[in-house]
Amino acid sequence: MSVFSHEVEVLDPIGLHARPASQITKLVKESELNVEIGRPGEEFVKAKSALMLMSLKIKTGEKLTLTVETDDEAKAADIAAQIQEFLKG
Amino acid sequence: MSLAAGAVLSGLGVGLNSAVGEVFFVKPQAPLPEWTKSSKSAADETAALKTAIANVAASLAALGERAGGTSAEIFEALTFLLEDDELFELAESHIEDGWAAAAAYGKAVDTFAELLGGDADFDERVKDLQDLSKRVQADLAGIEMALTLPEVGRIVLVGEDFSPADTAQFTKAVVGVITLKGGPTSHTAIICRSRSIPAVVSCGAAASLNNGDTVLVDPVGDRVLFGGDESLATKAITYIAINDEPIIPVRANIGTLADAENATAKTQAVGVGLFRTELLYLNSKVVPTVEEQAAEYATILAAAPKGPIVVRTIDAGSDKPVPFLHMPHEENPALGVRGFRLIQDHRDFIEDQLKSLEIARVKTGREVWVMAPMIATVQEAKQFSDLARSLGGYKVGIMVETPSIAALIDQLAGIVDFVSVGTNDLSQYLFAADRMNANLGSLANHWQPGLIRTLARIADGANKGGFSVGVCGESASDPAFAVVLAGLGINSVSVSVSQVGAVRASLSALDIAKAKEVANKVLVATSPEDAKAAALDALAQL
Repeated sequence: MSVFSHEVEVLDPIGLHARPASQITKLVKESELNVEIGRPGEEFVKAKSALMLMSLKIKTGEKLTLTVETDDEAKAADIAAQIQEFLKG
Repeated sequence: MSLAAGAVLSGLGVGLNSAVGEVFFVKPQAPLPEWTKSSKSAADETAALKTAIANVAASLAALGERAGGTSAEIFEALTFLLEDDELFELAESHIEDGWAAAAAYGKAVDTFAELLGGDADFDERVKDLQDLSKRVQADLAGIEMALTLPEVGRIVLVGEDFSPADTAQFTKAVVGVITLKGGPTSHTAIICRSRSIPAVVSCGAAASLNNGDTVLVDPVGDRVLFGGDESLATKAITYIAINDEPIIPVRANIGTLADAENATAKTQAVGVGLFRTELLYLNSKVVPTVEEQAAEYATILAAAPKGPIVVRTIDAGSDKPVPFLHMPHEENPALGVRGFRLIQDHRDFIEDQLKSLEIARVKTGREVWVMAPMIATVQEAKQFSDLARSLGGYKVGIMVETPSIAALIDQLAGIVDFVSVGTNDLSQYLFAADRMNANLGSLANHWQPGLIRTLARIADGANKGGFSVGVCGESASDPAFAVVLAGLGINSVSVSVSQVGAVRASLSALDIAKAKEVANKVLVATSPEDAKAAALDALAQL
């Protein structure tokens, strides 16, 4: 299994709050893949938990790295694109 | 203890109609058990936790279905938090350490609450999480959390006091409400008044009622009659109009466009005496632009009843937070940075609000008065007055809620064009009694002599200073008290939309000299009961 990294930016004016967090969690659970998110260089959290995502207290304008564990590169890109959509607010 | 038919239980009445119904006692929430270690296997505890989470999820789904629309989405989001994977895994690890399911879930939630704490954006989520934690723990302990009320029949709800969550679940079957604690400004009283549900609050003796007892809720008589029927209800004083117009103008309190439209369509209110602006901001996550605010204000000003419109600038605090102002948690929000004090950190926002109001004023051609809440000193009044006058052509005033400014009213001459007394907060600060504390409800009674004397001094100060003084608190919605206010020298009252008719009626039934006589009798009373009785006796003789 490979790990694909993508960068996303939080554009939602109130940051990564409950709604985008639960949208991301729902997507990740449905994909059944191991997806992690975090600030570059810091500890990452599992994206299947909205509470863990919220606990990062990410504010608008922050850039995040997300990693997707899969052999399907296109799928990883698709998930990253959808997560970026959720972060637009 | 059983009561004899006709037994009288005294309290404070809310509303003018009476109701007969069967007592439906809402037991105070049993305390949740202490967290303990388990004697059962980890597998058993994990299974019990899963079941409890599923039960709470099912009850949230049922609540969501009943609420419908956007509220349903809120319940869906709560379910998402409830069933969070990492939260469950953390709880499981506490179970592995020997904790019982309730303790394990409670501890796991506490950990996340701490992770999310200290950030205004997540304060509400932390409250939601703790509420979910309580529901799960209650389910595990077999304690009933939800208020399940009959949909049919005629019930009189009896309880310590009711929270906003409780009152939201009142069904059509609820014809009357009795609370053992809580005063006339409690959440329960305000909701019952706006929905015209007869209520008696601060009625401690109601603790001796039992489920199924027939009672008469008699708010006009400030009492509940055990086994009574409608024929025993105290008649509200019938006021016979001697004038077409009340002796002082009766304005309406509004907070939304719908309130403004109702006030115009359904009442004879002369203008608006209190436009609470914070309701427009409580749900916005980002600061609205001046253009957006001006457009919203213009729509509401245009819809408001004819006459002046008194607009209160934002009255928010850490207990009533506006999301985009990021208000830090405070130990005592009622005594903290609220109302005009927000100017310390949010001058831009207050200036934008005043600019928006000026645009809306010019656009609609309405007579707008602006006032700031939570003013404690003459300097603050001057600061607001200078700011407002530099930004618009409205009349400028302040709210009188703090005892300190109540003592200095005459010194506001030349600074303000008017003052408006918020009796709910003035009572809270005058009596050092938290409005939200159900045990102190009787101190919030507007017939308290300490409040009435203070109102008399405020009216004298304003008359001496040569500017007008209005009252916009809940007290003005009591028709008999409105007469006392007029007699004390108050120049206008502003009341909830549902009370405009009743207050106009009492104020049209006498002349100002007679109102002064009533007020003078009330001023010598030494207890709230005597004060009210003196007013009602005098009014009954009209």
